[in-house]
Amino acid sequence: MNLEAYLAQWIAEAPVLAGSAAVVVFMIAVAALLGFRNTAKIDALELARLAEAEGARVEDSVIAPNARQALARLSGGKLMVARVMGTDVSARIAPIGALQVAFRKGKLSARFADLGFPPLHMRLQAPPSWLAELAGEPA
Amino acid sequence: MTAPVTSLSMPAYQPPFDIPPIITYAVPAFVLLILIEMIVVKVTKRGRYEMRDSATSLAMGLGNRVMGIAFGGLAFAAYLGAYQFRLFDLGWTWPVMVACFFAEDLAYYAFHRIAHERRFFWASHVVHHTSQHYNLTTALRQTWTGTLGLNFIFWLPLVLIGFPPLMVLMFSAISLVYQFWIHTELIGRMGPLEWVLNTPSHHRVHHATNAKYLDANYAGVLIIWDRLFGTFVSEDDKEKPRYGIISQLGTFNPFRVAVHEWVGIWRDVRGAKSLREALGYVFGPPGWSPDGSRKTSRSIKQAWAAQQQSAAVPAE
Repeated sequence: MNLEAYLAQWIAEAPVLAGSAAVVVFMIAVAALLGFRNTAKIDALELARLAEAEGARVEDSVIAPNARQALARLSGGKLMVARVMGTDVSARIAPIGALQVAFRKGKLSARFADLGFPPLHMRLQAPPSWLAELAGEPA
Repeated sequence: MTAPVTSLSMPAYQPPFDIPPIITYAVPAFVLLILIEMIVVKVTKRGRYEMRDSATSLAMGLGNRVMGIAFGGLAFAAYLGAYQFRLFDLGWTWPVMVACFFAEDLAYYAFHRIAHERRFFWASHVVHHTSQHYNLTTALRQTWTGTLGLNFIFWLPLVLIGFPPLMVLMFSAISLVYQFWIHTELIGRMGPLEWVLNTPSHHRVHHATNAKYLDANYAGVLIIWDRLFGTFVSEDDKEKPRYGIISQLGTFNPFRVAVHEWVGIWRDVRGAKSLREALGYVFGPPGWSPDGSRKTSRSIKQAWAAQQQSAAVPAE
């Protein structure tokens, strides 16, 4: 296929793509109107359940004020990050070294080498000592 | 679908009828069925919808179409290239079309099974499994990297045998359309059809992350392939499927969803200490690691089986 034919194909498909995009927006609007916007909340029980599913237990944790993100220290020298995904909660468990933790100006950030789980950011008044240690801050 | 066929001087190649753009024609029905399912879920509280999850699924579907326009020609060119070396001139007859339906469905089974068992192909296919919901919008959560990820190679044997490329594409499209309606929790079991067809019940098992359900039911249209090749698992009323992937995503961003596994492969290969490790990361099972520290489907199933066994042994 030459460039001209390739471009002609795009031009022919453009109205279909534009129409599809409009339909997508319409369906998202319908979902919103029907009230499919519930949000889960993370609490200590949920963290315990997530850890238990991986054969670990929570030793200590910090939960964001809006209860949508959390970071927990687990038994066995592991960390768990959890994030609300709509009505579900996604979690990642990894050895302590696999997570980059930083705490600056009351803001905690925890970063995985995983594009599918974006960095976690949350405001904290004062991090617990284990977290301050992880972030390289004086406890 | 009906595109550049007239310039080819291959009589067996050309269909005796105009093949309609099957997927395009099906889209209005997709939209209508999704709207109906949303309303039924709202009214009956059976099944689950979440706006952001559905938005991501629909965006992935739209992106899949865009990538199909951008790169679909490569797959078609590969089919045409392979067709030059076909073993037989099968042409467009009814018996050949029936044979092609079965052959395409078997090719889909092979593709789908390997897409779950080898990380290189999983990197594209994982996208379809990233939703923690199971509804009709999940059906549209499709990969953006299928052609670049060489998924089309699984259908090349069909054109090498001599099935016309357009016939293969036609049955691929029919299979894709068929698989739309099975992404629902609203339909239970379907009686005797469960023996032959891939049904919502069978496909719920396929999308589940429960250890019992992992690596099962790869069928496209016919479930017979799973029954034949030992990958069939029936839905257990006592064990409700939990949907998604082993390491659930923490994002609704379509771009992250589309490429996260490819980036993961890249990072792993960059950190590999030997060629063997690098090849393991690319072509090993998803979750493979040199020291076995990560989880694969097999290790999860083994741990689950051991747990079941120990639970079954009465305490002395």
